[in-house]
Amino acid sequence: MKRSAKILFLSMVVSSFMIVSLVYAQQNKFKLKPDAKGKLCLNCHENFKEKLNDPFVHTPVKTGECSECHNPHSASHGKLLEEDASRICFKCHEEMMPKDQKSNHRVVVEGNCVKCHDPHASKNKFVLLKAGNELCVDCHKNIGSALTKIKFKHNPVEKGCTNCHDPHSSSKALHLLKNDLVALCVSCHETNRPAFVKQHMNYPVEKSNCSSCHNAHGSDRGGILFDNVHQPVANKVCTQCHEASNSPTPLKTRRAGYELCRGCHGSMMNDAFNKNRIHWPLVDKTGCLNCHEPHASKEKKLLLGDSKSLCGKCHSDTMEVQVKLAEKEAQEKATAKGKVIKGALSHLPVQEGNCEACHDSHAADSVFLLKQPSMIKLCEACHDWSKHSSHPMGEKVVDPRIKNITMQCLSCHRSHGTGYRYMIALPTVTGLCVQCHKQFKR
Amino acid sequence: MIEGLRILFLIGLLFFPISVFGAEPVKFRHIQSIYFDEKGIGLKEPEGLACHEKNLLIVGDTGNGRLLRYNFQEKSVKGGSEIKIPQLSNPIRVQVDSKGEILALDGKKRRIIRLSPEGAFKGYVDAEGVPSPSTFVPRSFKIGTDNNIYILDVFSARVLVLNPESKYQKQIPFPQGYGFFSDLSVDVKGTLLLVDCVKAMVFSAPKGSDRFSPLTKSLREYLNFPTNITTDNRGIIYVVDENGSGIVILGQDGSYLGRQLSMGWNEGLLYYPAQMSITDRGEAFIADRGNSRIQIFTVIR
Repeated sequence: MKRSAKILFLSMVVSSFMIVSLVYAQQNKFKLKPDAKGKLCLNCHENFKEKLNDPFVHTPVKTGECSECHNPHSASHGKLLEEDASRICFKCHEEMMPKDQKSNHRVVVEGNCVKCHDPHASKNKFVLLKAGNELCVDCHKNIGSALTKIKFKHNPVEKGCTNCHDPHSSSKALHLLKNDLVALCVSCHETNRPAFVKQHMNYPVEKSNCSSCHNAHGSDRGGILFDNVHQPVANKVCTQCHEASNSPTPLKTRRAGYELCRGCHGSMMNDAFNKNRIHWPLVDKTGCLNCHEPHASKEKKLLLGDSKSLCGKCHSDTMEVQVKLAEKEAQEKATAKGKVIKGALSHLPVQEGNCEACHDSHAADSVFLLKQPSMIKLCEACHDWSKHSSHPMGEKVVDPRIKNITMQCLSCHRSHGTGYRYMIALPTVTGLCVQCHKQFKR
Repeated sequence: MIEGLRILFLIGLLFFPISVFGAEPVKFRHIQSIYFDEKGIGLKEPEGLACHEKNLLIVGDTGNGRLLRYNFQEKSVKGGSEIKIPQLSNPIRVQVDSKGEILALDGKKRRIIRLSPEGAFKGYVDAEGVPSPSTFVPRSFKIGTDNNIYILDVFSARVLVLNPESKYQKQIPFPQGYGFFSDLSVDVKGTLLLVDCVKAMVFSAPKGSDRFSPLTKSLREYLNFPTNITTDNRGIIYVVDENGSGIVILGQDGSYLGRQLSMGWNEGLLYYPAQMSITDRGEAFIADRGNSRIQIFTVIR
């Protein structure tokens, strides 16, 4: 018994010694002398001494653990970093990328931490490169410039973006919001205050979506409403669309889908319904709200977004092609080194997201909801085709490839672009021409 | 060396059939195209078509606002008589039931009309007894082997099932998280299929089920903008890729089996196709809208 106790005691002593040695070895993997840590590096990196006087110093720098991030001898990564620059921070700051996130900051995902932080020291808290909103608006320029111009500013935005947003990721909401939007708003705005209730016409808006009317960053309208407000909202006549505020379902609309909007926009609806072809989302369950905001929007016509993103929401296949074509155009221009390249690869209105240049977003008599039944007339609105081509076209010129259709612009071109110059349908002009002029085919 | 070559040859022989037939078990071979009616008037942007086992082919000649009736027998098309009625100005979907009655969806009025086999107007399919909400907007419809009418009601986000007399039988709500359903189909087993043109997905509801679930993941890598779905008598699924001008073929379990046809003007090529129909004999009819013609293919399995 005594013998086994002795063995146990000795084993424990040996194990403890080994653990301590291992930890020490790990901490001092370069076997530096006790007072050499950090100081040794500063012998050469003299400019760094000044940096260390900054009020906020990254902990490993402060404790002289330069080798936590850098290998003093050699490394496979730039700046003698132990790991790839996009991953090294996560060695210690793994919690910045939780697994159950609903939204995340792209720079964090990309491991581009140095976009915001100085890895050594800074004059700002959290070793940030700049203080407060100044840092955020460096990238989010649109928001930054809007904030300087708007008349009514949201107080928390002025105080700091991090009042509402988590700069790294959010496990609770989209847009890096610290909490679900309504929960975030009501944490400051007491919804049971008489003034609040009156402003919102007794409707239980805390069960709704505040950003349906309000621009959380501020706007030129009182109550920081979005700049374009639906008339019934501006007039505070909520009952025009919703059931009465004292009904059991006050937020429910009086009618479903387009039938609700038809009450006021009857003329537009009748026009659309009298056309041969309708844009089907107009008559689905969501109806007009597929594209329009019901309350207020920063876009004209109360659109949900700019037409490129709005149309691209459903027609992503078309938009993806445009991205590829734009990349190809940029590549070919770079290769041309300043030489003029004739002919476009894609159609400018499509690239710009100006879909309405050719299509009617509600309804039309023609396929693809084109504004004109005649393709020639549609193209003619922008292109004087007779000046660029003497090729016969029109109702009397039969397409030799298909006996019952006639020649028009799209007999040779594709309206959204093809990746070939002049947006022709085939890789070469010759290949295209001999489709009809077969006698010249070789 | 010779031994090695022999082994290589044997391996090649072993895998040859798999590589040839494994990826694309179904191939389309062009037989014929239809450009004109019996009077020599050209088709204009046809979007709908339906074939009947009794060699009947009904074409929705959408751009001309009429239906055309053809006979297709022994790889030859005859006829092309016109059915033009004021109640149908924009036929975008066409079906024929077992009695030979023609049902067509008018894209302008968004109503389904019923015609006698001779083409006389018999009335509207009004979904008698449909529960609230009573409003329904048919984006498409199909007739099952049981002669029931299946309506894709985009307004109330459901599939309505009507009996052959247009009386309401049941409804199945659209699944959660869909983009936009452009078409539906019913296979030989009675399984309902929905095609989502925004998410490029197919959803299914087995016969008797009251809910749809995804049959496929997003098929975006194989197709651009699917607007029509149909099945053959073996349950193989054919999805018409309108913007990609091709046909994507799926197994009953939603597995990708291949893609056929491509964009162009020449016969055998498609330009924004709208609808496809396939007979038990393996003849596939495609409304090649952009080329203003109907193309007929033999489906080789």
